[in-house]
Amino acid sequence: MSSLSTQPLTPEIVSREGNSMVLSMGPQHPSTHGVLQLVLEIEGENVVNVDPEIGYLHTGIEKTAENLFWSQAQTVIERMDYLAPESNSLCYVLAAEKLLGITDRIPSRAQVIRVLFAELTRIASHCVWLGTHCIDLGALSVFFYAFDLRENILDLQEEAGGARMHPNYLRIGGCNGDLPEGFLAKLDALIEKFPGRMADLRGLLQANPIFQDRTIGIANLSASDAVAWNVTGPSLRATGVAYDVRRAFPYCGYESYEFDVPTRTDGDAYARFLVRLEEMEQAHRILQQVRKRLDAPGPVMIDDPKVAAPPKETIALSMEALIHHFKIVSEGFRVPPGDVYQSVESPRGELGFYLVSDGGNRPYRVRTRPPSLYNLQAIKAIARGNLIADLVVTIGSLDPVFGEVDR
Amino acid sequence: MPSTQTPPIAGGAIDPPSLRPPIADARIERVDAARLRARLEELHAQGWTMLLDLGAADYPLRAPRFDVVYHLLKLSPAARTVAEVGTPERLRLLCGVEAGDARLPTTTDLWPSANWAEREVFDLFGIVFDGHPDLRRIQMPHTWEGHPLRKDYPLRGPARERSPRPAFALKSNVQAGVPPSGDTLAALQEQRKKS
Repeated sequence: MSSLSTQPLTPEIVSREGNSMVLSMGPQHPSTHGVLQLVLEIEGENVVNVDPEIGYLHTGIEKTAENLFWSQAQTVIERMDYLAPESNSLCYVLAAEKLLGITDRIPSRAQVIRVLFAELTRIASHCVWLGTHCIDLGALSVFFYAFDLRENILDLQEEAGGARMHPNYLRIGGCNGDLPEGFLAKLDALIEKFPGRMADLRGLLQANPIFQDRTIGIANLSASDAVAWNVTGPSLRATGVAYDVRRAFPYCGYESYEFDVPTRTDGDAYARFLVRLEEMEQAHRILQQVRKRLDAPGPVMIDDPKVAAPPKETIALSMEALIHHFKIVSEGFRVPPGDVYQSVESPRGELGFYLVSDGGNRPYRVRTRPPSLYNLQAIKAIARGNLIADLVVTIGSLDPVFGEVDR
Repeated sequence: MPSTQTPPIAGGAIDPPSLRPPIADARIERVDAARLRARLEELHAQGWTMLLDLGAADYPLRAPRFDVVYHLLKLSPAARTVAEVGTPERLRLLCGVEAGDARLPTTTDLWPSANWAEREVFDLFGIVFDGHPDLRRIQMPHTWEGHPLRKDYPLRGPARERSPRPAFALKSNVQAGVPPSGDTLAALQEQRKKS
């Protein structure tokens, strides 16, 4: 197999016809967070053309996942979008459950817990976005307010799953054990603290003339362009298209929760900012409903020894349980052959998995539809004609996570 | 569990998508590579506005060997409320590609978002998209050889060494009984000659 790649694009400064020149921005530029290079064609301060160069964080997660058991693959998949780990695992778990044909048998309490973590991770992810976006714009204090709130959510993740960043708490068939004692009290405290903290964040930014100057009318994207460039999530809803996977293709019982899908019509960086802030408030609204449903006790894992290991207590008493436990740990479970596409609304947009099973104990193909990849690609349409200084705002407002772009 | 080679295909299903259980996730359609372009143009004209995703899968035991998978969504840019969006239609288009001359026509002129997706399929599977404006590797380094997501591309092992390593670094492979191959073998022989 010969190499089919063409010559690499050299980012040296070359003068072209006219006054335009080629300039490399990143991967060391602070606003690109070390993993994105933009090859810019500029005329003075204006961007004529932009060619993002990605792949700096490519770790072959899809290939790795295809060589692990179904349950092990989840641990690497959770590390794709490292700011919203539970969105990744939720989507993967739902897709695998569809292939197994057990979607209807997942206990309702497990579904409520999944919604809880999906929304917590949405708030946490938007906090990181807001903090770093504002640092890129030169507003440092927002970072501390946002990260303080995120820290409370990481505490909750640690309580439930044992790890702050990648708890791997959701499982195929349910969740890994019930919520620990004391969890609900912490959740209550977070729900109570949230509105005040949101008011702080809004107060710092929403009417701030410097912030408005930097974001209003910058990085414009029209609705038809957004759809053509496959932009989803808050960036799409900031152009006015009310497409939210939670409403269009409900999962985990989202159809039974009351929440709005915030939209704006301006399609600029400020509109994306407002949409994300409103999304955090809607997530808070969902959390309040989740909290009420969590009072009802119940099982959190499917009762099917072919998929879920039996409870630890039964192992000493039942030979069957011991055998099932041993089988699941040593060779995993088998998934019937077939393919499936499942998507969820991650904080960045439609996160999808196209899974293929060949009937074995490892996923045969794990294809991700990473929202960040497509959202970032749209920078080709957005940045043209803008100033170089506004590129920083553009990247920040699209909120790409490179673990997911490069995988 | 470190392994030096890709595990064998466990389940033995040669064409898994044909065996799928009834899951209502999308409308599914299969087209020949020769008819693909015409069908996509037709669909684009029918209002399938979004090319949600474009990926591929490799089935080495099957002919045609590859499946290129197009996920389409019928989403109107004018849908301003949740009710107007409703549940948009989804379509999954599978297209078989032969191994010998893996080529397909590009769709970048219909959906600009196909640009990077096609580059990724080219990079990781080695399927060439005719008419693509800028078909370069996207994830792997530009000088990389081989296409990592093909099933015959090993996960680990000497053949996977990116640059030839000195002999001592390969000790674990020698212990595991994996013979060096390809570039690594050549580099080892050269190294022995020098020392």
